[in-house]
Amino acid sequence: MSVFTIDHVKKTFTNGEIEEEILKGVNLSLKEGEITALIGPSGSGKSTILTIAAGLQRASGGEILFEGKDMTKMSQEEIRHVRATDFGFVFQSSHLVPFLTVEEQLQLMLDVAETKTSKKEQAKAIDEMLKLVEMQHRKDAYPSSLSGGERQRVAIARAIIHRPKILFADEPTASLDTKRSKGVMELLQELTRTLHLTTLMVTHDEEMLRYVDRVITMRDGYIVE
Amino acid sequence: MKIAWKEMKKSKAKFLILGSIIFLVSFLTFIISGLANGLSQDNAALIKDLPDGQFYLSKDADSTYNLSKIDEEVQKQILIDNPNATAFSVQMGFVNDAEDKQHSVAFVASTESKLFENVKDGEIVLDSSLKEDGIEVGDVLTNNQFSGEFIVKGFVEQQKYSHAPVAFIGMTNYQEIYRVMEMQTIFIPGKDAPTLSALDSFSNKEFLHAIPSYSAEQMSLNMIVWFLVIISGMLFAIFFYMMNVQKIGLYGILKAIGMKTISLFKMIWYQMLVITAISLVLSIALSQAFSFVTPEGMPFHLTMDTVWMLSAVFMTVGFIGATISGIQVKKIEPLQAIQQGEM
Repeated sequence: MSVFTIDHVKKTFTNGEIEEEILKGVNLSLKEGEITALIGPSGSGKSTILTIAAGLQRASGGEILFEGKDMTKMSQEEIRHVRATDFGFVFQSSHLVPFLTVEEQLQLMLDVAETKTSKKEQAKAIDEMLKLVEMQHRKDAYPSSLSGGERQRVAIARAIIHRPKILFADEPTASLDTKRSKGVMELLQELTRTLHLTTLMVTHDEEMLRYVDRVITMRDGYIVE
Repeated sequence: MKIAWKEMKKSKAKFLILGSIIFLVSFLTFIISGLANGLSQDNAALIKDLPDGQFYLSKDADSTYNLSKIDEEVQKQILIDNPNATAFSVQMGFVNDAEDKQHSVAFVASTESKLFENVKDGEIVLDSSLKEDGIEVGDVLTNNQFSGEFIVKGFVEQQKYSHAPVAFIGMTNYQEIYRVMEMQTIFIPGKDAPTLSALDSFSNKEFLHAIPSYSAEQMSLNMIVWFLVIISGMLFAIFFYMMNVQKIGLYGILKAIGMKTISLFKMIWYQMLVITAISLVLSIALSQAFSFVTPEGMPFHLTMDTVWMLSAVFMTVGFIGATISGIQVKKIEPLQAIQQGEM
């Protein structure tokens, strides 16, 4: 069943008098419980469509349907609310808040998502999530003292602690070595299954495609297969 | 606000540097302001320390204190009609001590009043700064235009006029020294002082400007202080703006995970408030302490009114600077902010 639909989405960047069309009408739908991978050469528009879908930037045209609502017509505040409650995002270079410990990163996400649970329940949820990503032993550590793989695991935990419906991941293994990349992908696969997430990720590493359910290839702003 | 505080705790050095800049700038402003006020006190403490009321000068004086001469009959009638009224004159002059050394003073003579020292003829009461010149109670002082002698009867604190210590003398002695029978001004304390058709009236503030050199000096000093306040204010605003623009990547991440814009504003304002408040408390404390260690001859007068007013200005401009950067953060899309932060 499709939970998220991208319909003929376009994105045009204007640089002075030059207009460059990055996305030329992208159609895509995501199914619950599946990991969908977007692949393609640099400049094909895969990261752009991911960030537009995640509500991090606006589309120039087309529709993005989530739970029956067109996100392209939502106000900034409505999009923020969707990002805070229904979406999770894993960035290429983790982008953790540098002055918060691992535990505080997750607490921040729960606060932002305005989960109506008690502090005790929140602490339990954080503990469980850290156990799930095998980071419980580093819960008091700051990002600067974590390895690249550990940072990415914390970033994944932060992206899903509030139980979002859709997880977006932009090249989550790009800054990791092969062993750590596999660890992160196994984790994403397991979490997508166990938490019934819908995951859309961008990758350039074909090695990682064996962990995904569906592969979509982009080229020159179009989906080609 | 927890997140704002955590950032400050983790990035102590950054916030300490910013705080110390704000502390130094505000401290400098307080000191300059204290010195300007001190000079102002040194110029006209005699007048500034009088209660609110009305000053009267003769109409032909053209609003200039030195040129005013109040007709004796008019003065007499006013003093009868207004029991609180005081007629007085202030003129620059010299007294010679026992070793014939000259000391510059501002002679003040007045009709009987609670507002001025009432001294008998042949007596003199001096500002306490003359003690530093070795003058003591009981010393005999002379004046080249005065046939008699003055016996020092006592000292008063902080009574200065035109940067000279005040010397209170009797009216008859004053009239002999300056060869004049009329007083220069009449002062009636109170808010409901009457309008006198024969004389021009002035409020306390207006009267200060009738003193030669006071206006010019104060305008220059106020100009210095306000330029400093404006420059300091701009520095405050720029520093807060720069600090937040530098953190645009962080705000991008927080926006990306769905943090409300108002929460980002609260974070920015909280940090501004904490840094500015701590810096101001320190600079207020130090500037007050400074007033105790200033050399005797250095006029320094920093009132709490001035301190609160300047603090409010700094808080306001800090708030404006922080808010402008907040608006920048509000406008930018999360992805753009993250990308800018990576540059």
